[in-house]
Amino acid sequence: MSPPRPRITALTVAVGLVLADSSIVVLALPQIYRDLDTSVAGVTWVLISFNLVMALAAVPAAHFARRIGPGRAAAIGLAVFAGAGLACGLSTELSTLIAARCVQALGGAAAVTAVLELLPATVGSERRAVAVWATAGAAGAALGPALGGLLTELVSWQSIFLLQAPIAIAVGVPVLAVARHEAATGIVSTELRRTGRPHLLANLALAMVSAAIAAALFLLVLLLIEGWRLSPIGAAIVVSVMPLAALLGARLGPAVGSERARAAAGAILVAGGLGSLALLPHAEVALTVPPQLLVGVGLALVLSALTETALAGRAPQAIHGGWTISARHAGVAVGLIVLTPLFTADLAQQRHDALDASTAVVLDSRVEPLLKLQLAQRIEERLEGERGKVPTLGPAFEPLPEDPADRADVILLREELQDQLDRAATHAFSPSFGLGALIGLLALIPIGLARRVDL
Amino acid sequence: MNGEGKGRFLVVAAIAASLALVVAYLAAGGSSYEPAKTQDPCKPRPWSEPEGLQGIAQQFSLSALDGAACELGVSRETLARALATPQSRERFSKRYGIDDAELARAIRAGLLRAIGDAERAGALNPLLAAPLRATVRQIPVDQAIELIKDARSLLNNLESFLGPAGGLIEQFLP
Repeated sequence: MSPPRPRITALTVAVGLVLADSSIVVLALPQIYRDLDTSVAGVTWVLISFNLVMALAAVPAAHFARRIGPGRAAAIGLAVFAGAGLACGLSTELSTLIAARCVQALGGAAAVTAVLELLPATVGSERRAVAVWATAGAAGAALGPALGGLLTELVSWQSIFLLQAPIAIAVGVPVLAVARHEAATGIVSTELRRTGRPHLLANLALAMVSAAIAAALFLLVLLLIEGWRLSPIGAAIVVSVMPLAALLGARLGPAVGSERARAAAGAILVAGGLGSLALLPHAEVALTVPPQLLVGVGLALVLSALTETALAGRAPQAIHGGWTISARHAGVAVGLIVLTPLFTADLAQQRHDALDASTAVVLDSRVEPLLKLQLAQRIEERLEGERGKVPTLGPAFEPLPEDPADRADVILLREELQDQLDRAATHAFSPSFGLGALIGLLALIPIGLARRVDL
Repeated sequence: MNGEGKGRFLVVAAIAASLALVVAYLAAGGSSYEPAKTQDPCKPRPWSEPEGLQGIAQQFSLSALDGAACELGVSRETLARALATPQSRERFSKRYGIDDAELARAIRAGLLRAIGDAERAGALNPLLAAPLRATVRQIPVDQAIELIKDARSLLNNLESFLGPAGGLIEQFLP
């Protein structure tokens, strides 16, 4: 079998890789939306399908891992994950992509839950194994969007999936050694026995917090790309604040020790960050940084604390780990299913309000009446042509008038109009961010109850 | 500090950081950062100080748009966009279930309101207001529709639709 160090790396990368997949395509969604000619609601199923299948498959996958051996289950899981990743990358239709994502989630569920069974023997203790597993998962979920954005901009959205295949195979090599050992000895390393009840309150809190975090990642990326017209790479740089902050949060965790305090503090920070995003005072990228710091630190604290709580003193680890995976992904899926219609309705309303506000600015402006009507017409055409996306209005004002006074008036008008659109785009996300904050705060109820009932 | 103390400190620090940021964003105007609300077209809109015939024509057109929009129960902005092209007008008619005759009646009502607004603002001599009202009331429906179809003239050149009375405007401007 491989020496521990490369094996630990391989196992943690496997967990990070699979759990990053729940969010890695967030920054690619606008590109997928255009390439596959679908709707906003349709494209979100690229995310939802993966999370939903992970939620449904995690516990059965854990049972599967215990039945055939975690080494073999992890190897099979990673192989399925890699193969389905290739299928995702080669998809030319939304339905094929969603189907491949579902298969990818099945493989991912098998791999992630099996890794939790493999880790204790590799890192030396069950407690340390849980901490490593939880941290790898939180890091993967936080890093996902930034990595996905970079790949989308530098190569293509397909490359996100195509690149996963070789990584999954590479981390599968050390796992194969364990699988071969299991096959050679003919014994399954874990004893099959009855499993205890899952930690309901910790898993419920995990689901709620995950829904809130999904809101933060998904909505912020859409705001940056669709609302504020940033490129995927620009948005990737902006949202990389969250994983950087999560690294800080991961360092804070062990210093505190108490899982309850870390979970409560983390949920409060996630809610605070989302609440601030709901109250952005300007369409300014820098203003998203402080809320992201809160969400990043918060997610690292709360996800690891709740996962450790859900697994503490419970055996077998793979099954209870499966429950935490199930809770996390169910939270993400439900969060997206609830938020998408709310957000798309708000965006449609704000687009209408932006159109009215823009027309009012044009009508009340100092530019010539004839030019007013021409501008109103061109603005309407741009809004119609952008299929619901917030447009860049610059081209509607070309060519600029030659007369210096008229030119100045038109430039002023263009700035006022863009301000109205920025306001509309930013405001459209506020209710969804607010709902995310509320869900984050509500997670404090199961966290608080867990104190009395179960710890 | 023991484990419990550190835990309490962490929770208090999280509450403080979250509240500080939310309060800071609220203080910076986060709760009111939204697109400007459109004004109810049925409420009177004060006239700015128009300069010359062109300025008066603009104010007049905006008042007429307000009046017509009020009659139709839509915003001034929606009606302005509807008048931009034949296609936009057709979309508007379908969406709101408004036919050309109804639109013409509304535009006529809007023009009458604009005359009243101009008169109250001192931009139009009362001696001119009466014949203008009569002219607007007598515009046949098909002519009103033609006027609506060429919406640019409505905004661009007040005289073109006032007909013979337009030539008098210069004399009666305050």
